[in-house]
Amino acid sequence: MDIDKIKRILPQRYPFLFIDKIIEFEKDVRLTALKNVTVNEEYFKGHFPAIPVMPGVLLIEAMGQAAIIFLNLNNESDFDKPDSPDIYYLCAVKARFLHPVKPGDSVIIDVTPVKLTKNSGIIKAVAKVDGREVARAELTGAKQR
Amino acid sequence: MPKIDVQTLEKELRSIVAEITEVEPEKITLEANFVEDLGMDSMMALEVLASVEKKYNLKIPEDYLMKVTNLSNLVEIAKKFLKEK
Repeated sequence: MDIDKIKRILPQRYPFLFIDKIIEFEKDVRLTALKNVTVNEEYFKGHFPAIPVMPGVLLIEAMGQAAIIFLNLNNESDFDKPDSPDIYYLCAVKARFLHPVKPGDSVIIDVTPVKLTKNSGIIKAVAKVDGREVARAELTGAKQR
Repeated sequence: MPKIDVQTLEKELRSIVAEITEVEPEKITLEANFVEDLGMDSMMALEVLASVEKKYNLKIPEDYLMKVTNLSNLVEIAKKFLKEK
């Protein structure tokens, strides 16, 4: 799935759209997304001027965006309808950061459902660079609170 | 799965609830209301259900989310699904 379709699902835009491509989607099972990290990212100006490292919270954001795409594809949202797609609010995060992500890294994010309901869900996300796990998290989100 | 007695089940479920609500286990009596007494919200309830499913390898349907109002009925629900397993 390319960036045009991603933009129809995610309301986020530059500089806050953190998914470039969807590599794979299997209903009820998983979604694999790609985020290419370039040296031109806004946040590298300040985080940090001498040592560019992708902020962990933004890795969580990328995982959250991948999770929103998964949930929308899973619910078979009709993207041409005015109230679609579904927006999910992040309620809780359990995360672990294992390795810094730097310019030039291709971050592969795998999301799998832990528990899904009509209006909410718990999603497990694993981020890898060159096959090595850089972060993992469990995200809880709901359509409304 | 080996059969677990009710006391162990109650103790294990209490520790799941304690971890998610961040309330001390002693305050989680069988009758303490999850929402009013322990400050649980719907997302925490979902996390409790997901943890119970993971721990005992169960599948608990979404309808049971609203029925989990205190430890006593969480134990009953877990018992019911453990028996059906």
